[in-house]
Amino acid sequence: MNPDPLAILLQTLLLLLLAPLVSGIIKNWKAKLQNRRGPRPWQVYLDLAKFLRKDMVISEHASWIFSFAPYVLFTSALLAGLMVPTLATPAPLSLFGGALALIGLLALGRFFLALGGLDPASAFGGMGSSRDMTLSAIAEPALMLAIFTVAITAGSTDLSQICRSTQSATWRLLNPAHVLAFAAMFVVLLAETGRIPVDNPATHLELTMVHEAMLLEYSGRFLALMEWGASIKQLVLMTLLANVFVPVGLAVSEAGPGALALSLLAYLAKLLALAAAVVLVETTNAKLRLFRVPDLLSAAFVLATLALLSTFLFQ
Amino acid sequence: MNLSGVSTELRPVVEDLNRRFEGRFNALVTPRLNEVYFHVTMDLVPGFCAHLCRKWKARLVTVFADDARIGHGVFHLYYALALDDAHGLLVLRVPVSPETPQFVALTNAIPAVNWQEREIQDWFGLRLLGHPNPRRCALHDDWPAVHPLRKDFDLNTVLPPFQGERHKFRPVEGEGVFQVPVGPVHAGIIEPGHFLFSVAGEPVLYLQLRLFYVHKGTEKLFEHLPIPHGVRLAESISGDSSFAHATAFCHAIERTAGAQAPPRARVLRSVCLELERLYNHIADIGAICTDVAFVTANMHAMRLKEQILRVNEHLTGNRLLRGMACLGGVRFDWDADQIRTLNGLVSDLRPEFDSLVQLVEDSSSTLDRLDTTGILKPEVARDLGVVGIAGRASGFAYDLRRDFPHAAYDQVQIRVPVYRVGDVRHRLRVRVDEVHESLRLIQTFVTKLPGGPLRIDIGEVPPDRVAFGYVEGWRGEIFHWVRTAPNNRLARCRVKDPSLQNWPALSEAILDNIVPDFPVINKSFNLSYSGTDR
Repeated sequence: MNPDPLAILLQTLLLLLLAPLVSGIIKNWKAKLQNRRGPRPWQVYLDLAKFLRKDMVISEHASWIFSFAPYVLFTSALLAGLMVPTLATPAPLSLFGGALALIGLLALGRFFLALGGLDPASAFGGMGSSRDMTLSAIAEPALMLAIFTVAITAGSTDLSQICRSTQSATWRLLNPAHVLAFAAMFVVLLAETGRIPVDNPATHLELTMVHEAMLLEYSGRFLALMEWGASIKQLVLMTLLANVFVPVGLAVSEAGPGALALSLLAYLAKLLALAAAVVLVETTNAKLRLFRVPDLLSAAFVLATLALLSTFLFQ
Repeated sequence: MNLSGVSTELRPVVEDLNRRFEGRFNALVTPRLNEVYFHVTMDLVPGFCAHLCRKWKARLVTVFADDARIGHGVFHLYYALALDDAHGLLVLRVPVSPETPQFVALTNAIPAVNWQEREIQDWFGLRLLGHPNPRRCALHDDWPAVHPLRKDFDLNTVLPPFQGERHKFRPVEGEGVFQVPVGPVHAGIIEPGHFLFSVAGEPVLYLQLRLFYVHKGTEKLFEHLPIPHGVRLAESISGDSSFAHATAFCHAIERTAGAQAPPRARVLRSVCLELERLYNHIADIGAICTDVAFVTANMHAMRLKEQILRVNEHLTGNRLLRGMACLGGVRFDWDADQIRTLNGLVSDLRPEFDSLVQLVEDSSSTLDRLDTTGILKPEVARDLGVVGIAGRASGFAYDLRRDFPHAAYDQVQIRVPVYRVGDVRHRLRVRVDEVHESLRLIQTFVTKLPGGPLRIDIGEVPPDRVAFGYVEGWRGEIFHWVRTAPNNRLARCRVKDPSLQNWPALSEAILDNIVPDFPVINKSFNLSYSGTDR
C-alpha cells in the first residue's frame, strides 16, 4: 500500500491551519476565565503573518545551527503529525514509522531547539536549553511508557493500528491502564507545550522562562517557524490523546465524505475539550518551583509505569 | 546647657550624651522639639553613633553632605539618627574643610550607610577613608571627575562624551560558575537596573546590583527652583510615591517656616497617603501572584486598583494623586459627594479584598512558591537598616506613622504588622495586614474630618534654616531635609527614599535561591529605581 498523496496533502493542510487556531483558542479562553477580553482566537494567524513579513535580526555570534534549527523543528513537528491519524486511519505516513518514530521526531526537534537556544551564546537561551533538557529527560520516558501501554493492548506500535484496535469491540474505554496512561500523557502534554504549572507561555520574565527563553533570540521568519512548529507539536500531542485514547468518531480512509465530516466534528470536539482542560489547569494553578517540576514529571512517569503494569494485571 | 527646646522624651538622651561626650560638642541647636543638631568634629562621629546605637537603639537613617562653603567656608556632613522610642531625630553636623576634602567611613560598623557614603564621595568629591568598597556608586564609572552637587558645578554643564574604563564587576570563580547579566533594559515597562547573577547551575551564589541609570540630578534641581515649585518636583521623585514624597517635602518646608498645616488639611493628607498605600499594596499583591504565574489573582487585584485610581481621580483630579499636595495644606477640598464616594470605596474594597486574599491563600501552588522563598534574615535586615515592608517582614516594626506622627497620624492608633520570617510570603502578609489597617484608618479619618481652612499661606521662608520632613510612604520611610536660601529658594534638599536603603538587601535575600525565583523575590521588595537614582 503506497501513501496516498491526497491524504498527505490534506492532513498537512489540516495540521498547518488548525494548529495556530488551537493555540489561539487556548489563549482566548484563558483570558476569558481570568476576567480579560483576550486576543481573538485567530490572532495567532495574524502574528505568524506579521513575523513572516518582518526582517530578522541575527546575533553575530550565531552559527549555521541557529538558522538551521527552525526548519528542523518545523518539519519534524509536521512529519510527526503525519504519522498520527487525525480524521481517518491509517495516518498518511503510517508506513514510515509508528510511535517510536514519532517520539524520535519530536526529540529531534527538541534537540535542535535547545541547540538554537544555546547557539547565540545569550545567557537566557542557555538557561532555557538547560532547563528544557532537564525536564524532557523525564517527560520523554513518561510519554514513551504511556504510548507503550496502549501499544501492548493493541499488539503494535503503529499508531494507526493502535487506533483501529481501540475501535474494536473488545476495547474498553475506562480500562484502568488507559486511564492511567491518559493521565500521564496529559501531564506530558502540559510539560511539552510549556504550560503552567511547568512553564508560563505568557510571561515576560526572562529569568523564569523555559521554552520562551530558547526563542528569545529569534525574530522574523525564524520566529514564525518556531512558533508555528511549537503549535503543531502541541496539536500532535493533543491528537494523540484524543484519537489514541478516545477514538470515538475516527473514520477509516476508505470512508466517504460524510463519515470524514463526522470524524472532523468529533475530532474538533475532542480537541476543544482538551483545550478546555489545559485552560482550566493553567488558570487555577501557579507555576511550580523549577526544582519541583521534576516531581510532577516523575509522577507522570510513575503513572505511566503503573499503566504499563496494569495492562498485564488486568488482562 | 539649655534643654528647653528639646522634647521631654529626648531630654534624657541628650543629657546622657552631654555626660558621655562632655564639652566635645561645639554647639547644640534645637530648632524643633524632636529635632536636635549637634555640631561636632569628625573624630567624634564613630563613637557618638556607636554609643547612640548601642545604648539608645538609634538608627542611622540618613547620611548626606551639604556644600556650605559659601557662608561657612566648609562642607557639612550630616548624620541623622532616629530614636524610634523617644520619637526624635538627633543629627550630627560635621565640618569638612575644602583643603582636605575627606571623611571617615562608618560603613564597616554600620553597613546600612554603604551606598549613602559613596554617594557623598561621588557627588561632593569628599574622599572616603577606610571604606571597604569605595568605588563609584551614584555616578557611574564613565563620569569624568566632576562633583555635580558642589555649588560651583553649573546646572547647565554639558559633559564631554566619556572615554575610559567601564565598571568592572567582581569576578566569581569556580567550576561550573557562570555569569548571567540581566538588564539594564528589561522586558516590560520597568526602569533600568543591571543585575549580574553569578550562578552554579540554577542556585545563585552572588548578585551584584548596579543602579543609578536614571540619575536625574533631582537634588540639584531643587536648588534651582522657587520653593513652591519644589512640590511638583518632589512628586516626580518616584511615580508610585508621588503624594508621599510631595508631602514629605511640604513637611520639611513647613517645619523650616515654623508653621503647621490646618487640621482639615492634615487629615486629607493622611487619607491620600493611605489611598496611595492601598493602590500600591493591592497592585503588589497581584504582581507577586503574576510572577508565579497565578494570573487570575492579579486580574482581580488590577480591578481593585483601578477602582481606587478612579476614586483618586474623583477626589484629587489625578489618578496618582498628583497636584493634590501643596505647601501649608492641600489644594482641593472634598464635598459631601466626594466623601460618599470615598466611603463607598472603603466599603466596596473590604469584601472584595478579602476574597482576593482568600483566592491567594486557597491556592496551594501559589503559597508553595512564596513560602521560604527569598528569606531576609532579621540579623541581615538589621545590619542593612532595611525599612518599610521588607523591614516589617523581617522583624523590625519601624513605622514613622506611629513613632514620628505626621499629618493626622497623631490622632489615631496604628497597628504595625511585624513578622520575623522574612520570606516572600510574609512580605505579602505585611501588605495584606496594612491594607486592612489602611481601610480602617481611612474610615476613622473620614468620620472625624474637621472643618476649617484647607491651607495656610507659608509665605517666604527665612534663609539658612534647616529641617527634616518625613512621611511613612507605602514602601517605607521617606525623609527630606532642606536648608533654605534667600529669596524663597533652597540651598540644599536631601531626598532619602526607602528604596535606596533596601536595594542591597535584595542581594542577600536572593542567596541560596534559584534564578527563576528572582523575579518574585524582587517583586516582593518592589523597590523604586527612580527613587533610588533621583
